[in-house]
Amino acid sequence: MDLVLQLLFTGIGIGAVYALVALGFVLIFRATNVVNFAQGEFSMVAAYLMVVFSVDLGWPYWLSFLIALGGMALLGVIFNLGVYYPLRHRTFLPVIIATIGASILLSNSVLAIYGPQPQVLQGWFDTPGIQLGPVYLDSQYLLIIAVTIALVFFNYWFFEKTLLGKKLQATSQDKEMASLLGISVSTMIMITFIYSAVLGGLAGLLVAPVLFVSIQMGSTIALKAFAATIIGGFGDVAGAIIGGLALGVIETFGAAYISVPYKDGFAFLVLVAFLIFRPQGIFGERVAEKA
Amino acid sequence: MKLTRRDFAAGIVAGLAAPHVITSARAQGATIKIGMCAPVTGPAAESGRYAIQGAKLALEAVNKAGGILGKQAELIIEDDQTTNPGIVLAFSKLASQSDIVGFLGSIRSTQVHAMAPDVLKLGKPVMIGGTDPNLTHMGNQWLFRFRPNDSYSGRVIAEYGVNTLGKKKWAVLHSTDAFGTAGGKALTAALEKLGCPSVLDQGYANQSQDFTPVVLAIKQSGADILGSYFTFENDLGIFARQLRQLGVNIPWVGSPSIVNITALKLAGPALYNTYGVADYAEDSSEASKAFGKLYRDAVKVAPDNQSSWPYDAVTVLAAAINKAGSTDPAKIREAILLIKKFPGAEGEYNFDQNGDGLHGYNIVKNDKGKIVFDKHIEFND
Repeated sequence: MDLVLQLLFTGIGIGAVYALVALGFVLIFRATNVVNFAQGEFSMVAAYLMVVFSVDLGWPYWLSFLIALGGMALLGVIFNLGVYYPLRHRTFLPVIIATIGASILLSNSVLAIYGPQPQVLQGWFDTPGIQLGPVYLDSQYLLIIAVTIALVFFNYWFFEKTLLGKKLQATSQDKEMASLLGISVSTMIMITFIYSAVLGGLAGLLVAPVLFVSIQMGSTIALKAFAATIIGGFGDVAGAIIGGLALGVIETFGAAYISVPYKDGFAFLVLVAFLIFRPQGIFGERVAEKA
Repeated sequence: MKLTRRDFAAGIVAGLAAPHVITSARAQGATIKIGMCAPVTGPAAESGRYAIQGAKLALEAVNKAGGILGKQAELIIEDDQTTNPGIVLAFSKLASQSDIVGFLGSIRSTQVHAMAPDVLKLGKPVMIGGTDPNLTHMGNQWLFRFRPNDSYSGRVIAEYGVNTLGKKKWAVLHSTDAFGTAGGKALTAALEKLGCPSVLDQGYANQSQDFTPVVLAIKQSGADILGSYFTFENDLGIFARQLRQLGVNIPWVGSPSIVNITALKLAGPALYNTYGVADYAEDSSEASKAFGKLYRDAVKVAPDNQSSWPYDAVTVLAAAINKAGSTDPAKIREAILLIKKFPGAEGEYNFDQNGDGLHGYNIVKNDKGKIVFDKHIEFND
């Protein structure tokens, strides 16, 4: 039982990371109908920004955190104007290819500026974790889980209760109708990119103390997060969260009880199973009805 | 001016002969070229930088001492991207330059396996740092190893753990790539010979984000010592921290990656009091000390095996070509195999007929972040 609890905690922790990045995928997909393959690189860039301000310049952790998130908001604006906006009237394919190009550009730019060395980033807490009975709770994973839960409620409140959230929803559901109702579609898409970049950055900042800061950190997480969005139901916010958590738990238990070397395989096995038996994902029906 | 038939014919002949003349002139060019496949990008880009620095330092020393066959030596570097397709592409680019007389391959066995068929086809000497024993035992006469292979590291880890630390219940953890699999096999075989078969033999995939299931498996196995073969420092850092967080404090003797600079930086205190087999240990010999000083002065970073083996590879290759008096691949090969008692940064080179230059390992301890030389264990077989 101790083993199960420990695995469950770790699975939820790592799943929460996937969920945060998956959320960014979903929001952009809903607003623009394209998949942003640079979402993982948003996490990586934010982590490096944090290293620059917190480690290299020695600025306070909280201030570096806020600056890094601010930097990500700016990156969201640049990404929207430089990658999406010029191609907005084209089919989804050129936009997707542009996001892949942007992801390569981002990772190689960081490599050129900062070098290939992986970096260590301290977490929010001095205590690495707490022992709760037989289960060790890593403080950084606890924070990641807490932030994910908070974001679930925040997203619900933001998208369902605020005017801006409703405008964003309207834009994602029918751009022409939203435009006819006086909503500035391009502004809404801009806000979506900013929010997604900040979310991706938040995931990177939270996971960096656990996985270290490296050029590859974003792409590794993004691949799983992408699988999570499909499992959850592409385009569904709750689906991204559930898909991410499910993926984290499945791969952790799969590694513990079946095979460690094939840990990554379980995630993609589940993905293949969903694509065959339930391609719309867990929450797919709602999306189908909406369409 | 009127173009005669004779002028036209002469022009055609000159045109046809020109590429050959240029190639021949390049082959007899002002420098002797050595090709190097190195991870300039990808997960091992940091260690790749150290490798290039090591090779360049050796090249400087060779050139200061008169060069190779009276000419200055030059290093041509291609990025292997830390991937198997990357190194195959990098090597093919280098191999297409006919004036390159010898090459440096990878420290990663899996990459050496990937490039090995092309090495055999080309038929020129390639210096490697990959430690999978099979690399020099699969009929490829052009591979020459500048680090002790894993059959030695496995034996040294087992012997040190069993006979010096007195531990009998072993958990063996290794990556599932060529390096890790071969290392894990060598260690378990050595443990069986010593009468202590492992209680857990656990593989893991590279670039894992979480090792909780592995740590829990070690905990449940009841092992009183851990032996490991990690390929990437990121993985080692994450594992080390989770191992300590989940309360596993058994002695740990690891393959060389456990004492390399990046791993020490990433894992920090989680690696204190661990042991490692190290092909490069600064205090193990005069030649090692000399390389350590040279590297520190030039690069301002502590030296490790990532930089020491390319340093030795360039030094030995240059010495072999000078001794052979020719850039003929067969003659260089013969000269390398005749090298005995050659003092290198990694140790004393005595090449055997398989192309293995080193036959033993150092044991070092992580003493609060400082790597302290303990002893050298050499084998004669």
